[in-house]
Amino acid sequence: MQSTLFWAAVTAYAVATALGIAGFAFSRERWLAAGRWVGLGGLLPHAGAIALRWVEVGHGPYNTRYEVLSAQAFLLVAAFGVIALVSRHLRSLGAFVMPMAFLLMGFGVATFDTRREVPIIFKSWWLILHIGFAKLFGVTVALAAICAGAYLWKRRRPGSLQRLPDPPRLDLYAHQFLLSAFLFLGVMVAAGALWANQSWGRYWGWDPIETTSLVTWIAFGVILHFRVLHRWEGARMAWLTLLAFAFALVTLYVVAVMVPTIHNSYMVGP
Amino acid sequence: MIWRLLRSAAFARAILIYLALFGGAGAWAPWTQAEGGPAPAWASTLWLDHPFSSPWFLAGVAALFASTFACTWGRRARIAGLRRGVLPPGAVTLAGDEGPLRRFLAAQGFRGDGAVLHRFGTALWAGWVLHVGLLVLIAGVFAQQALYDQGTFILTEGELKQLAQPDAILMRERGRLGPVDPPDLAVALEAFDPTRKQPGYAPDRLSELRVFKADGAVVADTLDRAHGIEVDGVEIYQGIRSGLSVVLDVRGMGPRAVVLQERHHREAAAEVLDLRGRPVRFVVTTERDLHDVSGTGRTLIRLEHGSQELLLSPEAPFDFGGTQAKVTGLRRWGSFSYARSPGMPAVHLGFVLILAGCALLVLPAGVAVIESAGGRTEARVQLQRGRDLLEADWQASTTEPG
Repeated sequence: MQSTLFWAAVTAYAVATALGIAGFAFSRERWLAAGRWVGLGGLLPHAGAIALRWVEVGHGPYNTRYEVLSAQAFLLVAAFGVIALVSRHLRSLGAFVMPMAFLLMGFGVATFDTRREVPIIFKSWWLILHIGFAKLFGVTVALAAICAGAYLWKRRRPGSLQRLPDPPRLDLYAHQFLLSAFLFLGVMVAAGALWANQSWGRYWGWDPIETTSLVTWIAFGVILHFRVLHRWEGARMAWLTLLAFAFALVTLYVVAVMVPTIHNSYMVGP
Repeated sequence: MIWRLLRSAAFARAILIYLALFGGAGAWAPWTQAEGGPAPAWASTLWLDHPFSSPWFLAGVAALFASTFACTWGRRARIAGLRRGVLPPGAVTLAGDEGPLRRFLAAQGFRGDGAVLHRFGTALWAGWVLHVGLLVLIAGVFAQQALYDQGTFILTEGELKQLAQPDAILMRERGRLGPVDPPDLAVALEAFDPTRKQPGYAPDRLSELRVFKADGAVVADTLDRAHGIEVDGVEIYQGIRSGLSVVLDVRGMGPRAVVLQERHHREAAAEVLDLRGRPVRFVVTTERDLHDVSGTGRTLIRLEHGSQELLLSPEAPFDFGGTQAKVTGLRRWGSFSYARSPGMPAVHLGFVLILAGCALLVLPAGVAVIESAGGRTEARVQLQRGRDLLEADWQASTTEPG
């Protein structure tokens, strides 16, 4: 059942991806809308798959690559659903969100059958905050990168992607998402430090992921300085936003896979 | 000159980039990683064997503190002025009739009836709160590093240990201004299970401790690796390491625990001096793995001295350097740590202020001042972002039919 629900969600995101790309390629608003609805419809079986796994292993989706990436994809699509409800301008971003969700699911599926008990140190409310905000950080920085990428695309080809907002508005949305990501990353780091202090009596141990998170937060600070103090905007800010996204990917996924750290368990898998 | 340098955005940016690059390099340096091996000689020569306590990093943090302080100093008056409607020269000017202007600004989220309107007025303080939080955090971390005191200790099941006694604490670390003596507490390990299964979690350590305060009061609590327990400002944490202890009853000295270290998966040993000062070795071999969840199975305890070997039986007396002793049990030991962290409240306050500043940053703050002179009305608007869009939206709204 869990597997069926998972594959139903993957199929929905795949179909939504195809419809989104085709909708943009052929300027068909209906295809874009259909892609959006199919993708959002995938949330239902996806929620079922996550809930069943939660019940089966007895903990939330934060241990093993499948659980982490599947939950990240779910939150990304769900956040897009909320944003599409609030802002008409951003509905067409679904064409970029769905491929990301599909790729996350694809990257996670290899460890679908891996089930691990969590260590006792995971028994903490700070952990819930730490992980919850890490996921929100991933979602908002991805949305910022999508807006920045769309900005750069539209700026070079003014006639394309007509369903998307004008470049200045995309630039503003990218900035707004980046500010949210800055906040969420800050909460993630602070909650992680308080969790470490609760378990081990030290709030900071210069673990590679701790340090990379701090470096990413500082990098975000530098980028925001460029915007606020030097009035950088447009293409330069879009590139910096994509750089921020690269920092986020390194923090959330690359270090955990490549470097021995106390955070390895959340990306465990072949 | 120095003050101007400290206040400059370029200096702040340079410091942040320096710290980011240093942090990135430090995080990826092989010798800073788990099982990464010792630092190479060149790194030690350059004080980079511990990069995040090196003078290079500390100088960067000090420069960040100075820069943040200089940038924050005096900004409060400017923000207060902005809230009152004293706008900087770069504010956007929207011209039109007062009614449509007010309606447009209200639709953009500006609130107020007078000449000065606000959108998320509190959020004008975002950057200031964030920077003050950064100052408090850095100061808190320095205070914590100067005042902290921590150490580890080992307890065998049934053992009571005075932490202030010589040799009770292993690997003690303290800040330059930290307490000279370990905490005046005695800790007893009433029960210890290294593989206790708690619902939903992998088997892990669980201890029942009794902590005796200096005034004689006793605190009893259960401890696992998820949470420490706090007694009189001293937090006690469960460590990971555990093993077996041979408990001896030495005539005239009472019970003594000999803490054994694992030699391989079915053998643990410890070398000690007997009462004549000769080195002897206690060796325990087990039927199953030392960490087997179902227990170690049958055990054999040997006492080795040179080439001599004596098999010890429970409660059977043996010669321990001229004094009679007997093995009264084979028990588990667990490792623990204590920490005194007087700087933590400032660290917490720093976190709270930084996050409050970040949260306020997300809100698109703005101030609008409506001015009428000579039959002409203008709204001057200061926004933290989206000025051009506001101007464009106003132009669009004034040219829209109807």
